[in-house]
Amino acid sequence: MSHVNATTFTIVLILFLIVTGAGFAAARWRRAENMMHLDEWGLGGRGFGTLVTWFLLGGDLYTAYTFIAVPALVFASGSIGFYAVSYTIMVFPIIFIFLPRLWSVSRVHGYVTPSDFIRGRYGSRGLSLASAFTGILALMPYIALQLVGIQAVLTVMGVGTSSTNTFVKDLPVFIAFAVLAIFTYVSGLRAPAMIAFIKDTLIYLLVIVAVLYIPARLGGWGHIFAAAQAHFAAISPTTGKPVGTFVPASKAIGSTQFDFASLALGSAVALILYPHVITGTLAAKRRNMVKRNAIFLPMYSVLLALIALFGYMAIVDKTTAAEVKKSGNAQLAIPYLFQHMFPSWFTGIAFAGIIIGALVPAAIMSIAAANLFTRNVFMEFFKPDASPRLQTKMSQWASLVVKIGALLFAVELPHTFAINLQLLGGIWILQLAPMLIGGLLTRWFHRWSLLTGWLAGMLFGTIAAYNVSSPTASHWASSSDIEFGHSIYIGLSAVILNLVIAVVLTLVCKAARVPEGTDETLPHQYTADPERSPAPVPAGVGLGSE
Amino acid sequence: MIQPTVRPRSTVAAHPITSAAIAILVAAPVFATLYSPIYSRITPKIGDFPFFYFYLLIFTPVTSLALWLAMLLQRRPGQSGDAPREPHGEVAK
Repeated sequence: MSHVNATTFTIVLILFLIVTGAGFAAARWRRAENMMHLDEWGLGGRGFGTLVTWFLLGGDLYTAYTFIAVPALVFASGSIGFYAVSYTIMVFPIIFIFLPRLWSVSRVHGYVTPSDFIRGRYGSRGLSLASAFTGILALMPYIALQLVGIQAVLTVMGVGTSSTNTFVKDLPVFIAFAVLAIFTYVSGLRAPAMIAFIKDTLIYLLVIVAVLYIPARLGGWGHIFAAAQAHFAAISPTTGKPVGTFVPASKAIGSTQFDFASLALGSAVALILYPHVITGTLAAKRRNMVKRNAIFLPMYSVLLALIALFGYMAIVDKTTAAEVKKSGNAQLAIPYLFQHMFPSWFTGIAFAGIIIGALVPAAIMSIAAANLFTRNVFMEFFKPDASPRLQTKMSQWASLVVKIGALLFAVELPHTFAINLQLLGGIWILQLAPMLIGGLLTRWFHRWSLLTGWLAGMLFGTIAAYNVSSPTASHWASSSDIEFGHSIYIGLSAVILNLVIAVVLTLVCKAARVPEGTDETLPHQYTADPERSPAPVPAGVGLGSE
Repeated sequence: MIQPTVRPRSTVAAHPITSAAIAILVAAPVFATLYSPIYSRITPKIGDFPFFYFYLLIFTPVTSLALWLAMLLQRRPGQSGDAPREPHGEVAK
């Protein structure tokens, strides 16, 4: 690749070292008497205020997905990529309704993971295991997306060897990931919470500068929109159809409004089911902080919308567009744009922002997955009497294993559109909607019907996603397929199937009087606002820990 | 039918009109962004921004505002958001 710019590289390296230092130092932040407790390592002591929670959830939501994957899709296909903006608006009312309920019931019962709640609500170990498995599985491609984001920045920087062996070629990515793994292991959730401050400072600075500076250099917003509109109206010589859409079209084949809306709704519902978002929520100190975050977090969506528009700027800037075309990788659009628009020192800040912006969510996600494994697989099935110390040790190791799983996703799946990694995770995690969102509202659903519906949704979603092919990839090429004549997000069609089965079988189970299992939660606990967790040692979901 | 004033209320349930207002404030942004035909158009342009892009940008603060109002409506008189929610004497307005 091209030569490495020394200024850019030095600034990225310095900021990376600062962040690494902060990651290790975070272990001492609001230090608890006993760090070897899952509430401490995995939930930061459950004592984060509105501001820290805001940064933490912001770190969950606005990731390499935002900075690399969404603009890449906008660059290549146009308005369909803006489903992400639509999604990050409608998700906040959904958070506002459901997550305070989950926070309350989890605080009352000392639940650490969503699967703890499912175990308590339905009295079903099978359902709890199914949800834990889904959570861990769905997080892996999402973490992989972060890796692909880091990779995109490093490629444009010219860092990396020219070897054809994936592992040798991407050695710098793996080094960055290894550093992340170590400080996550040491500091737990405190590390990403602290780094999120640095990340957001860099990102806000970057976006404000970029939004003021780049359009001015490119001839103004009017010119950018006009050029993008003309670009997407052009007929592609290979497919004979327009290259993309400038606004979601009602009749055009490809990105229809239906596809747009289903991707947005599916992603929005998926978000509140993701274990890492729930981890960030449960770490909040009080119920109202969850609501306040639903109010303040849309601030980030403004950023997301602006960042998505960078995809258009990359089209307008001829040098960037040519470079991206040459590389054949739309993910490089934003890194190239920044490199060509900014002086090299500011490019360094921008690149560091993107890399750190990928490390923070990757850390939270691996912690969430590790908590799921420890609480809902290891303790549930192997060692119910695990001491808090053993639980924490287990989670620390599991967080490493999860990252290795994510590496496999990053290496194995096609990278044409990194956004598919996130959408693939979304297909799986959405299958928890009936049991988790349903469970927060009602105990009407029967546990066996939920399990059957989940299985059907998982199978359908996975097979459908596997079968989508494109000219460049034979499998896993997209996350939408055609159902009843409309292009629709597979996650949404799978969860509808899941829900229908759950409803029908619930009626059957109730008629047949199949035992429903015990519900350890009480209605008023869903709106409770206790100041403290129930006990120093959280009740291991009815499994006496110690 | 008159709502009995002694019915125990959760932190979410309020006067029916208040409840309805909260429901609208929360549901409206979801509908407004989900039903894309409303805003999937190029004109009218606002400044340099085609309608589609302007709408999505503007709906972000609008959603914040709607949720903030919803949270205010959920609070009982005499309760701040941070105060522990103690059972309050039910006062008929």
